[in-house]
Amino acid sequence: MRSHPSDFEMIAPGSLHAVVSLLTREPGMWLPIAGGTDVMVQYAAGMLPSRKLVSIWNLPELRRIEVTASEIQIGAGYTYTDLRNHDIVRREFPLLHTAARWTGGIANQNRGTIGGNIVNASPAADSLPALLVYDAELILVSVRGERRVPYASFHTGYKKTLLAADELVQAICLPRRFAEHFGYARKVGARNSQAISKVCIAALGKVSNGVVEEIRIALGSIAPVPLRLAETEQAVKGKAIDSDLLLLAKRAAAAEIRPIDDIRSSARYRAAVAGNLVAEFLNRLGAAFAETGEARDFLVRWNRLPVDKAISLILSCCGSKAWAHGVVSRRPLADEAALLAASHDAWSSLAHADWNEAFETHPRIGESRASQASPQSVEWSAEEQRNVQQSESGVQKALADANREYERRFNRIFIICATGKSATEILEILRRRLKNDAATELHEAAEQQRQITHIRLKKWLQ
Amino acid sequence: MTNKSKQRAKTEISFIVNGEPKTVRAYTMERLLDVLRQQLELTGTKEGCGEGECGSCSVLLDGMLVNSCLIPVLQAEGANIVTIEGVAAGDTLHLLQQTFLEHGGAQCGICTPGMILAATHLLNEKPAPTLEEIREGLSGNLCRCTGYSQIVEAVAEASRRKAIA
Repeated sequence: MRSHPSDFEMIAPGSLHAVVSLLTREPGMWLPIAGGTDVMVQYAAGMLPSRKLVSIWNLPELRRIEVTASEIQIGAGYTYTDLRNHDIVRREFPLLHTAARWTGGIANQNRGTIGGNIVNASPAADSLPALLVYDAELILVSVRGERRVPYASFHTGYKKTLLAADELVQAICLPRRFAEHFGYARKVGARNSQAISKVCIAALGKVSNGVVEEIRIALGSIAPVPLRLAETEQAVKGKAIDSDLLLLAKRAAAAEIRPIDDIRSSARYRAAVAGNLVAEFLNRLGAAFAETGEARDFLVRWNRLPVDKAISLILSCCGSKAWAHGVVSRRPLADEAALLAASHDAWSSLAHADWNEAFETHPRIGESRASQASPQSVEWSAEEQRNVQQSESGVQKALADANREYERRFNRIFIICATGKSATEILEILRRRLKNDAATELHEAAEQQRQITHIRLKKWLQ
Repeated sequence: MTNKSKQRAKTEISFIVNGEPKTVRAYTMERLLDVLRQQLELTGTKEGCGEGECGSCSVLLDGMLVNSCLIPVLQAEGANIVTIEGVAAGDTLHLLQQTFLEHGGAQCGICTPGMILAATHLLNEKPAPTLEEIREGLSGNLCRCTGYSQIVEAVAEASRRKAIA
């Protein structure tokens, strides 16, 4: 049954003190509402536990972040957008930054708050595992004063917390000691985004002298509360990362969790996925700290570069920014095979407009440069098209004419993986492809671009 | 405890809508969406899912993209609100309206006002977004006709023209 607004009352006292005073005067009567992304959904469904609401949206005491040398204190009223935009969160707490990016669309990120996510206590909330592995503590406030509790003890059961009737979460404290750790976050749901997770993982680790020195793994959506995998961590700690350890970790994780059966997934599926995610994390952790071979060294360094820098380096292999972003977001990549696989995955998820962006960075066959290309890309194009440059002028003229015809017909330049092909072969292929319909030809061009990219990625590693 | 038969009084709430100061009498928990549509007759803002999933009720609240179905009107007190009706300058279409028109970025039209506002917000934050950023910026706005490619192209075109202008 839908709620009717005339049955409800909301007030907005405007200060934290006024709100906690109200909660003390009438404990249990007032439901705090921040950005409303959960509360208003319950309201629409007629499921609100209270008819009196007190607004804590935008309270200055809650919508702030305090940074000291040893920790950051994030106000409970900080929104997901605030989190995404904060430099220290992005640099030192990337798992939280990633979770903020995953949470809803932009409109909900503009309103949803980290404190609301914690108190709402959905076991499927994507940010909660990150808070667990970062060793968060919560500051709870009431007129009685403040108390500080470990976040790991806050959730006492399904949607149950330590919060007393007169208390609010004021801030979330994260110690600043994880900046050098390797972080891994992944969610598995029905779709990539805008879907509630079946399983999500946040994990941190550090390898030194060839063995796992520190490891922290947390899972969401798997149990009534976000879960830290203490037994699995113990089983892995101090050991070298190899295929035996991955198997052991997978089994330890599947044994440690007692997953839930619910509307989104089955317990068996969740146990299998959780084991795989733990194994994938360890695999990448190993890769991030592996140092063998020159190509590996280059990849290890590139794996650790900031996103912008990593994107600008790899753009010479393929000019699509969405592709570059896709490959970079799949870091760390252990070796050439992992790089090519990441490129393949990123390329297959692109839209047509992204393909066109990639095409635009190539010079017309027989010409020297494209308007959008980087110096490295120009050099590679010259190498790839060497046979054409050296061919006789009659073939070159025919190619130039066919190119123009192609551009008139398809409204873009002709893309072909020219490496190893003679000018005559290219001309034949071009004439054949002129007969394609638009959709077929677009896919053929995209496949050629994929081949070019992979040849370039191999050169790039050297 | 709460008394079911007790009717709360309406309250006067003031804000700016599309540049004009407005005062409405409303229950504090009325949804901004309903106040805009029913009291102010700004029916360009659509109701889709009513639970913050689809974005068809998107408006700008103090410059931020929000789902107006999730905003209790009391929380809009004093805010500066822009709805689809406030996007064009008189008879001159907004650049995004123009590029949506040119690229066929609308089919049935229900998602269009929300798409335009989400895109406006995106280009305010990031004047030259990548295609991935465009898709992310529109990710909370669902198009049932699934005409996403044209919508993304319309936004990309608007950002190109903005860069030239």
